[in-house]
Amino acid sequence: MKITSFRKGAPGASDAVNSPDKRNDKRNDKKASRHIILAGLPPLPERSANERWGDWGADDFTRGFFSRRSALVIGGIVAVGVLGGEAYAQINTDGAPQAGILETMLKWAPLILLGREGELGGFALNIVVSFIVMAIGTVTGVLLGIAQVSHAAILRTPAWAITQFFRNSPWLVLLFFTILLLPYQIPIFGFVIPFPDWIKATIGLALPIMANISEVTRGAIQSIPTGQWESAESLAFSRSQQFRLIILPQCIKRMIPPWMNWYAILTMATSLVSIVGVSDAMTLTKLAVDADGRSELLIPMYGMLLLFFFVYCYPIARMTQVLERRYSVVT
Amino acid sequence: MASIVTADSGSSNRFYFWIAAAALVVFAYFAWTKLFGLAPVNICTGAIIPLLGGITRSLNETAGINIIYLYEPFECQRMLNGMGTTIYLSFVCVIASTIIGVLGAWAQMSNSKILRNIAAGYIQFFRNTPPLVQMYFFFFALSPLLPRIMTDYGVARPMFDSFTWAAISLSFFAGAFNVEIFRSGIEAVPRTMTEAAEALGYTRPQVFRNVVLPLALRVCIPSLTNNLVNLVKTTTLAFAISVPETLFVANQIWSDRVNVFEMMVTLFVFYIGLVAVLVWMMERWEKAMRIPGYGR
Amino acid sequence: MKHGFKIFGVIGFAACMLTGIAVAGTIEDIKKKGTLVVGTKADYPPYGMLDSTGKIVGMEPDMAADVAKRLGVKLELVPTVASNRMQFLQQGKIDLMISTMSVNDERKKAVGIIEPYYYAGGVAILVNKAANVKSAADLKGKPVCAIQGAFYNNRIQSEFTGQDLVAFKGVPENEAALLGGQCVGFVYDDVLLIYKKTADGEKWKDYDVVALKEFDPVPWGLAVKLEDKDTEWGKFMAATTAEWLKSGTLLALEKKWLGQNTEWLINASK
Repeated sequence: MKITSFRKGAPGASDAVNSPDKRNDKRNDKKASRHIILAGLPPLPERSANERWGDWGADDFTRGFFSRRSALVIGGIVAVGVLGGEAYAQINTDGAPQAGILETMLKWAPLILLGREGELGGFALNIVVSFIVMAIGTVTGVLLGIAQVSHAAILRTPAWAITQFFRNSPWLVLLFFTILLLPYQIPIFGFVIPFPDWIKATIGLALPIMANISEVTRGAIQSIPTGQWESAESLAFSRSQQFRLIILPQCIKRMIPPWMNWYAILTMATSLVSIVGVSDAMTLTKLAVDADGRSELLIPMYGMLLLFFFVYCYPIARMTQVLERRYSVVT
Repeated sequence: MASIVTADSGSSNRFYFWIAAAALVVFAYFAWTKLFGLAPVNICTGAIIPLLGGITRSLNETAGINIIYLYEPFECQRMLNGMGTTIYLSFVCVIASTIIGVLGAWAQMSNSKILRNIAAGYIQFFRNTPPLVQMYFFFFALSPLLPRIMTDYGVARPMFDSFTWAAISLSFFAGAFNVEIFRSGIEAVPRTMTEAAEALGYTRPQVFRNVVLPLALRVCIPSLTNNLVNLVKTTTLAFAISVPETLFVANQIWSDRVNVFEMMVTLFVFYIGLVAVLVWMMERWEKAMRIPGYGR
Repeated sequence: MKHGFKIFGVIGFAACMLTGIAVAGTIEDIKKKGTLVVGTKADYPPYGMLDSTGKIVGMEPDMAADVAKRLGVKLELVPTVASNRMQFLQQGKIDLMISTMSVNDERKKAVGIIEPYYYAGGVAILVNKAANVKSAADLKGKPVCAIQGAFYNNRIQSEFTGQDLVAFKGVPENEAALLGGQCVGFVYDDVLLIYKKTADGEKWKDYDVVALKEFDPVPWGLAVKLEDKDTEWGKFMAATTAEWLKSGTLLALEKKWLGQNTEWLINASK
């Protein structure tokens, strides 16, 4: 498909790709140096005249988001919101003074972040689950992807079937499937492997990730020019050597941006385990809201939960975009 | 779309005709049910149970495989309603999220910096937070803030019921991804096209609607298909805010009858089938819209 | 057997062939282990709930403690919910299940429910006073909140409301929906709603607990593994339950935790 370049500043790129407000950039540069002392923030990195913001992955939103002006505006809005909420809570007490909203949020934040005493829960559980799922999913997914391109139909067809099946099933159904139908422990040769709920949920999430990583791998392998395969074969590499030494190292670079993309999607999907009863951040937020029982807590508490996820996932999304541009392969 | 001459108008027109006819039949069925409270033809007692009831009932008694919704009228009706709700929710969300995607892409390309930042903020918020938490936020946290409507049985109910909130939440969620997809499609349209159209006297909105959008759509159909498939799978999350869709009904059935495995198989078959239908429709649409010189 | 279908666990399947699943449940095994593992509810006051230290307390843990005392072993409580209590029993994770489980035919085929039944729960609705609901027949056409998967949901939907229930997974969501106006009432077990209304009077001052007489009280049963129902373990539990009813132990426990005695238990204890 013939597409014009996405790179900013390249000939043929449309106006939408190049920075639309060229005049503002020069103005912002001058302002930046003047306002450094005022805001006490580190200066924006130096850049040459030809370099554009897009070259290190920022776009309008990031530039706007991290600029001094918007920081003041956002800080102002948050302060007004918090003070207003406190005032509202104090006025609406019907008698007994209650803790302010910010106080309550801070009181519950450790529970939501770390879970109950003595067990792994809360947002920490979400992150641990995401790591484990990604590890399992990547290993099995890469193997499945390699099987999908194999010459032997006996490997290829089941691999394709498994990939399509788990790709097209809803994640929640797969979660229920593993939670309800896996045994709570498996005895193997005298050892008993316990399967607490969150491990079953982890396996349930690893299945669609495995299928999607398999597709990513297959796409990466198929994007390697056939010249590589042919020259490897002519140099008498066996098929597995071709894979290990020549193809897969080239694939890794192509696979990283979609892999990180799936990691971000997965981190957000870990909140699904709250539906099947695992005490992750979502369950504990619900518990906290219920324990306190006040309706004006709903928005701040759920807002705080959204903020936790946002603070974790947004940098990953930005990094993915940076890596995508850096690793974009020109064929 | 009809203004662009396709390579094979004849078959694509027939394709559109049959799709429209099928959609009309399905729509008329559901509209009748909603309006009169009773389906014109009860599929369960009319077709499914006479055909399959005997076999499945004996299957339950002999082998213990309990496919209850094929021989019990009440469960059959509920299962059908649940599947209908899923299809309806998917349909509404697909349309709404596409519209939001187009509007968002237009906002991101606009000259006004505020509009661009608002669109970008919306995208980053909905892309980097879990859809489940978004749905809970909308349904539990935002819903009490809206005005209530007095019903005829004495209790004031909120403005939107759970189905509407699920539709709103999912549409915004998928819309955020669609904005990115449409933006990349629009960026893929060569500037020369826009310049040529402007030279012919089109205004900017006209350029967008008549030249850029049709070409952009062709480019982004694969990603769009991916995203819409994701959306159909994500409608299962509406289960958590009590939208009576397929997973919800299946959950009630397996709690009552302890036939988890059979219901799981049903769910897999249904959702994979639904996704397959959607993918098939998008592929046919893609083929019908092929232009020589673009695409494979 | 239904619980013989295990899709996953190719390893588990092979292992099952080789080593067999751990068997628990007969009295000798329990005494050898030295611990009785009982599954109870932990989110269902006052039958099974968490106190401020995180321990499971309530009427059913007390019953479990009594069984452990009779056997002379230690007690270990496992929190269960409706969706896993039978699976835990079938898989041998718990030896005994006292988990507010109402008895029906399908459940009798899945686990070994001990007779006599130790309790019964009726159905009631925590309903908005403005809706003027005095019995289940008044619920026609109104949205009603319920717990997902409860056994009376089907009947309420088919016979009374005529439309889909607004059903959530847990009690807090249902309470939030009720207070938010999404439904006119919350249908749940009568004992629990009575407890909620007395414990949280201020929150529920605009709501009434109306018993739905159209639903007969459904007996609750404690259960052992299906294979154990007619063995020594099952017979021991049956004798224990009969003795609890006759000696008034259950009446005393109910008074302690619920604050009042329900009609069914008074009749059953005669």
